[in-house]
Order: sequence, then structure tokens, then C-alpha cells
Amino acid sequence: MSHVTPAPGNSRPWKARLLSHEMLLLYVLLAEWLFFYFAGTTTNRRGVVVGFGTWDRQFDILRHSCEIGLLALALTPVIITAGIDLSVGSLLGLSAILFGQLWHDAGLPIPLAIAFTLVLGALAGGLNALLITTLRLPPLIVTLGTYSLFRGLAEAITRGSVTYTDFPESFLFFGQERWLGLPTQAWIFFAVAAAVWLLMHRTTFGRSFRAIGLAPEGARYAGLPVGRRVALVYVLAGLIAALAAIIYTARLGQAKADAGTGYELFAITAVVLGGTSIFGGTGSVHGTLLGVAAIAVLKNGLACLPVVMRMNAAEEMSGLLTGALLLLALTAGVLPKMLSKLRPRRHAPAV
Amino acid sequence: MKNSLLRLCAAGAVLLASLATAVAADSKLVVAMLPKSKGNAYFISCKAGADKAAKELGVQLLFDGPTDSNAAKQNEIVENWITLGVDVIAVAAENKEGISTALRKAQKQGINVITYDADALPDARAFFVNQATPEGIGQSLMDEAARLTGGEGEFAMIVGSLTAANQREWQKHVEARLKEKYPKMKLVVVRPCDDLKDKAQSEATAMLSANSNLKLIMAICSPGVPGTAEAVKQAGKAGKVKVMGLGLPNENRRYVKEGVTDSVILWNTGDLGYLTVYAGAALAKGELKKGAKTVKAGSLGTFQIAGDNILLGKPFIFNKGNIDQFDF
Amino acid sequence: MSRYFRELSVVGALAALLLGLAIFAPAFFSPQPLLSLVTREAPTLVVACGMALVIISRQIDISVGSQFSVCSVCAGLLAARGWPLALVLPASITMGALLGAINGALVAGLRLPSIVVTLATMVTLRQGLNLVRQGEFVNMPDAIQWFGLPQATGQLVLVALSVALLIALALAMRHLAAGRFVYAVGTDAEASRLAGIRPQLVTFLVFVFIGALTGLAAMMNIVQSPQVQPLSGAGLELKVIAAVVVGGVAISGGRGNLWGAFAGLLLLACVSPALTHLHIEAYWEKAIQGAIILLAVVADGLRSRKAGN
Repeated sequence: MSHVTPAPGNSRPWKARLLSHEMLLLYVLLAEWLFFYFAGTTTNRRGVVVGFGTWDRQFDILRHSCEIGLLALALTPVIITAGIDLSVGSLLGLSAILFGQLWHDAGLPIPLAIAFTLVLGALAGGLNALLITTLRLPPLIVTLGTYSLFRGLAEAITRGSVTYTDFPESFLFFGQERWLGLPTQAWIFFAVAAAVWLLMHRTTFGRSFRAIGLAPEGARYAGLPVGRRVALVYVLAGLIAALAAIIYTARLGQAKADAGTGYELFAITAVVLGGTSIFGGTGSVHGTLLGVAAIAVLKNGLACLPVVMRMNAAEEMSGLLTGALLLLALTAGVLPKMLSKLRPRRHAPAV
Repeated sequence: MKNSLLRLCAAGAVLLASLATAVAADSKLVVAMLPKSKGNAYFISCKAGADKAAKELGVQLLFDGPTDSNAAKQNEIVENWITLGVDVIAVAAENKEGISTALRKAQKQGINVITYDADALPDARAFFVNQATPEGIGQSLMDEAARLTGGEGEFAMIVGSLTAANQREWQKHVEARLKEKYPKMKLVVVRPCDDLKDKAQSEATAMLSANSNLKLIMAICSPGVPGTAEAVKQAGKAGKVKVMGLGLPNENRRYVKEGVTDSVILWNTGDLGYLTVYAGAALAKGELKKGAKTVKAGSLGTFQIAGDNILLGKPFIFNKGNIDQFDF
Repeated sequence: MSRYFRELSVVGALAALLLGLAIFAPAFFSPQPLLSLVTREAPTLVVACGMALVIISRQIDISVGSQFSVCSVCAGLLAARGWPLALVLPASITMGALLGAINGALVAGLRLPSIVVTLATMVTLRQGLNLVRQGEFVNMPDAIQWFGLPQATGQLVLVALSVALLIALALAMRHLAAGRFVYAVGTDAEASRLAGIRPQLVTFLVFVFIGALTGLAAMMNIVQSPQVQPLSGAGLELKVIAAVVVGGVAISGGRGNLWGAFAGLLLLACVSPALTHLHIEAYWEKAIQGAIILLAVVADGLRSRKAGN
């Protein structure tokens, strides 16, 4: 599925490459983008070009995608090892609160508060890792528990009402300004994306994650430290979720217990849309990035379409179409396989 | 199969493109209105008034917001409107500080910004269409609760969620008023209902069995009032335990008429939307300037301005006697 | 004894909680309010039964909350149009079964992962409903409430219905071939195929079944109040999955039973009223529920590790 894994014995490698999941998604993304570029750009009353086809809009899309993009990056290795982490959105909320507390209540300088928050995020991810690896518990249930626990702690600590604001300008710079032409947080996002890509596609770690996802027992017999590798993946997810919390706080200028509610579902959607199998073993970081982009462009583009604007239904339409796109991507990947499998099996002798 | 997927996408794109160009933007003034949460009946009734005003003024109204109360999404929508180059942005802020960064950016681009329902920071908008201050709402709620109970006894509260900014603020002012004026009353329990009517019903049922001396339940989110009323009715305590809160006449009509709910407090939300669009359009046309003392709003007449607050007037108290005069 | 250790430990925790309530807040047990509280959870129990089946068959369905909303609104609209209850009830169940059949067809027919399929249908149904209804309440005629019965009778009917369903399903899962098929498919789909079961058909039917149960549950919920909020059922999926898992049904399929799911649901459902009765502030509720889920699975993990050693 992923085009970085070589396909030995394939008679038409170039065609296989052009029709890989990631390439198809790229075509969809380009089609989306071109369509919205033409249909979502207009000239307003004052003669100014407005809408989708402006640089401002493109930068906004990038800015708004960073947090969910980071969570999707965090989830890619998790899902490739056949795991899942439902707690990342809640952990984003908890980390935002802890960051606010460290800075405002404990009086730490911002860089130190960021460092501590990242450590705490990694520790929270470590809790998931501990339960999943040492007790061999199913990740879905462990993280369902921590999903409740982390959000609950964030609410309990702040009693729901404490909101941390008035962050210094120098901190808000990370979320609201531009640096070298791009939104500041985009650079952080790109750096993390590059790091995760290198980890997944250019190191033995990445290969071991795939092996674990495909066959954990086999990986164990092959001498891989399965427990430690899986633990690493969840700790990394916690760390990245905490980083997303910092960026979220800088973008909005506030830290509150409801930060990141529901983000885990968007992130999982993006990862799966990007071609990572929920059963583990296959998937790619660039696929995830394309998935994030496809959803972000769809959501933002719809909001620029005059017809959708008149219906006042951008939110609902984008939700609806994202769900439909996900189903389409799933069925499109599976149908040909199904059809070709059905035929020989019908004539196969009984075992 | 993959080819047909592509073809399908292409066909869809062409279809949508033809739709989009058929209704290309015209040269009307564009007023964009942001509610806290779109599916909330409160804001739906605001929109009805706003639609009416937009029709009278011949402006195009955009009405979009998060489907749940979500501060981050509000910012994203405002930033989208900035790049769409709308003329007026009218915002009900979920979070003061959070939204203000986006609103300042809009002002820098020459877009007229006003707030309604819940204010942003004063430097991020020109005017605030003030339906009632959080303090005023808290006081009205507490005063009405005291009136219904004769100023003494235990009462309970149902709030929308533990994190919604406006809910927290109203609760704070209710508690402040309680402390200041009604020493014989006691707030015994506060529970969230997640803006779900069903959950409010369950919570109120538990409250009633846990507190036998309960005199009144106050629900300060609109799905909470009918949910609470149903619970009190089913517990057979209608009349013995009073029900009141912030809500819409239409959602509460049956319980008010049955005598389960005693009073529902709300300003005229339709008028709020109507006035907001008129004020926004006047601002964009240069008819409304800083320091103005009044603003005209079509069939509703003239409204007073205090400082930079356009005053809608006092909240209504709906009860058995007057609820049939209102339909929103 | 050790075979039912898991279920018994949940029952033990529940008993401890109830004992605490009996000592510190005896008002919790006054009959009429308790009946009302139990009635409020009856629809959730029905969905939880369906979820237990789905998880035993090694699948998951996170779209039940959205299905619940769609069925509630459809049933409410039909009732508002004056349809008699005898037609609204089957309509709601059919609606649920159809929605379940969509999931079932995608999961069993195309062999797609259920978690992703139901994630997609969850979002699609929820946003579709938002688009059509814009959050507006549906007002129903009074005759719908309590199936037209007096309130106390109606409440008893609802509770009896859900408990009867639970008992029937629990017995069926144990003693009927169809019930054992579900376990077989959840334990090892390939082995069950070789044994002559059609695993894909069983999976499909399980999804149709949970859909139908959700439709029934939606109906059992809307008769408890004369208005339907389109948002009703939001978050239901996590509530029932948590209940089922706390009750000892293994997410890896093939293990667990409905009694455990029942105990798990009661335990989690008690948390919120217990906090109210014990006058503990609401801020800790989510954290406590999360902790219960984690404790339950940690107990599982420790036990199986001990057994393994």
C-alpha cells in the first residue's frame, strides 16, 4: 500500500505507484484545491479578491491544521503498531491546563513551563504505555479510560472555570504571528512531521513498528523488544499531544479545560484517510499529512463556497463530506481486492 | 475501481462548480453573524430576527458557527470571514480573550466588528449589543428565585457544562447575589447537564431524591429547563418544588401552562438578532459612529447607547399570564 | 467461582457503593425516586446489551449515539404527525435496524474495520441530522408519553422490558446455537467458518441487531418526555462501551457475558447520582469514571498475568 516499501515482482511498478493510496489521495487533494480555488474565490464589493484563493486563507488553513495535524502525526506510529490512542484530545486539554498552571500559578518562565509540560505529557503517555505493555491490556480500552481520566482531571483541577490568559506577546508569537513568511507554528509542525517521517521511514524503528503491527508474536521471536517499542510509541504520542497543547494555547491566547475536545476523532480520521490500516502494519507519515490536508482543505473550502454560505451550513457539510470521504476511501481500497478474492474462492476445494 | 473513484470525484466537482458559479457573489453588503453554538434554540431564534432585518435592509446575512460551543472553532470561522472580506462581523463570544485576537485582526483589515450576546474585549470591537449584563442576568435569576420561594430554603442549579464561559459567569453572579441579599437561602447542589435535555432530567431526578427540602431548581442553560420540569412533574412535586431558569418560551410553554415551571427568564432573542444586524449595517454605512447616543433599528424604533453598549432593554420574565404572547 | 471472578468483582464494587449510599445517603433508596432513576437508565441498558453482543463478536460500534438521535427524531416526527404508537414503535426499530444494516454491510460485506466504519457513520449521521434539524426540538402529543399508561405503570413497563430483554438475551447467548455462534465468531472467525458457521452473516446480523435495539432504546427514551432534542444520545457510545468493558467483556472478542455488562452499567450509572446524594461536587465525575474503567482493566491484566505465570 505504501509506496516506500518496494514492491518486488510487480510488473508495472510505475502504474502501481501512480495508483497507490497516497497518490490517489494527492489527486483528490489537488482536485479539491483547484475546485475551491475557482469556485471559492470572488471579488467583493470593494473590488478586492477574497476567499479561498488568497494567501491569507492558505496560511489560515495551515495555522488551523497544526494541532490536529500534530495529533495525527502522533497517532500514525500508534496505529501502525496496531494500537489506538483515544486520549490525545483529552491530554491536549490537560496539558494546556498544566502549562497555564506552571506559568501562572507556579510562576515559571515560559520556556521552563513548556519543558515541564512536555515532560508531563510524555509521562501521561507513559501511563498509557505502562498499562498497555506491562499488563498487555487492549489500547482501545486503556485509552478510553485515560480519555475520561485526563479530561476529568483537567476539569477537576480548574473546577471547570479557571481560564489562563494574558500570556506574554513573545509566547503568543508562536500561535498568532508569522515567521519567515509562514505561520510560526507551521515550522514546528513541519519539524515534527520531518522527525516522525524520518523515524518511521528511514530508521530501523519504523520497520520494527510495522513488524509489530503485522505480527507482534513474530516480531518478538525475531528478537525485537516489542514492549519497549510499543511503549515508545505511546510516550511519543503523549509528548506530541503536549506540544499541540502549547501551540493551541498560543493560538487562542487561553488555556482552558475544554481545549481539544473531540480532536482525537478528527486525528484518527485523518490517519485512516491517509491510508494507514487500523489493523496495523501498513501506513505512512506522508499519507497522514495528505489526509490532514484533504480534510482541512475540504472544511475551509466549503466555507468559502457561495452556495454553502447561503445555506449557512459549512460546519455540517464538512462533517458530512469528511465522513463520506472516509467511507469512500475505505471501500475504494477494498472493493477490487474483494472482487478478485471472491472468484477463486468460489472454485477452491473445501479445506 | 480506483479510476471510477476519480471519475466520480471529477463529476462531483464539475456539478458543484456549476452550482457555485450560478450564485456568484453580488454587490450587497455582507453581514456575518457568529453564534456560540449553531444548533442552540436560543441562537436559532436570534437568527430569525436577524434574517428579518437583513431582508428589510437588503444585506446578505451569513450565519455560521460551531455546532457545539467551541472557542477554537469560533476563531477559525472569524478568520475565514476575514479572508472572505465581509463588511461586518457580529460575534457572540464563547471566550473573551480567545476571540479578541481574531477580531482585532478583522478590524485591522477594515472590517466593522460588533459583539452581541456575549462581549469580547472592548478594544476588539466597536459596539456591544447588550441584551443584559452577566451581572444583570445573575441578579434577575436570583431575585426571581427568591420571589418564588419567599426568600428562604434550599435550592439547586443545573448548568450547561462545567467549562462554558457564560454559564460560569452567570453562576458566579447568582452566587454573589445570593450571598449579598438572601442569607436564608442555600444553594445545595450544582450539576452539569452537557446541554442535553435528557441528562438534565436525570440529574434533576437525582437532586430531588437527594434533597428532600429542595424548594426550587434553577436551570441556566436552555435545554435544562424543560428537562428539569419533566423530572419535577414525574416526581409528583409540581408546585412544591419550583422550576425556573433561562430558556425559550416555545420549549417551555407546555410546562409553564401546566404550572410545573413558574418562570422563564429571557430577553427577546429575535429582537437581539434584529438589532444586531441593524447596528452592524449602520456601522458599515457610516451612520453609526463612536460616541453616538442612539441607533435606529427599523420597526423596533430607536435604541439608547450607553458608552459603547447598545442597550436592548431588560430581560422578560415569562410566566403563565404572558407566555402566549411570545413565539420564539 | 474463579470463572465469574470478573463479574463478581464488579458486583462487589457496586455493592460497596450501594452500601456507602445506604449509610450516608439513605434517601437514595426511597422507592419512587429510585424507580425514576432506574427508568432513566433503561434505554442505556438495552443499547448496552447490543454493544455486549457486538464486542463479543469482536467488533465495535461507535455510531450508536448518532443512530439513537436519528431514531429519536424520526420517531418523534412521526408521533407529532399523529401516527399511532403501534406504528411508531416498529418504525423506530426498523429505522435502527436499517442504520445497523449499513454498518453491517460495510463491515461484514466489505470486511472493513468496524471502528473506522462506525466512526464514519457516526460523523455522517450526526452532521446530517444537524443539517436537517438545526437543533430544533420535536414536540410530541401527550398520548405518546408512557405509552399512554399512567406514569408509575409506564416506568415499571420500561424497566421490566429492559430487564426481560437482558434476561432473554443472556439466556439466549448461553443456550441457543445463535448465541454460541456469536462467541465462536468472536473467538476465531476462521475456525468458526470451518465449523460451518457463516461468520460474515453473523457479524452482519449482530450489527442489524444492535441497530434495532438502539431504535427500541430511542423509543423507550422518548416516551419519558414529551419533547425530543436532536442532540439526545450524544456520547452514548462511550457510556455503553465503558459499561460493557467494565463488566468484563473482552474487547478482543469471544469472552464475557451480559450479566457482567449489566453490573458494569449499574456501577457507572450510579456514579453521577451517588455524587449528588453524597454532596460531592461534580468536577470529579469524569475523572472517577475514567479511574473505574482503568481499575477494571488493570484488574483484568494483573489476573491474566498471574494466570500466565
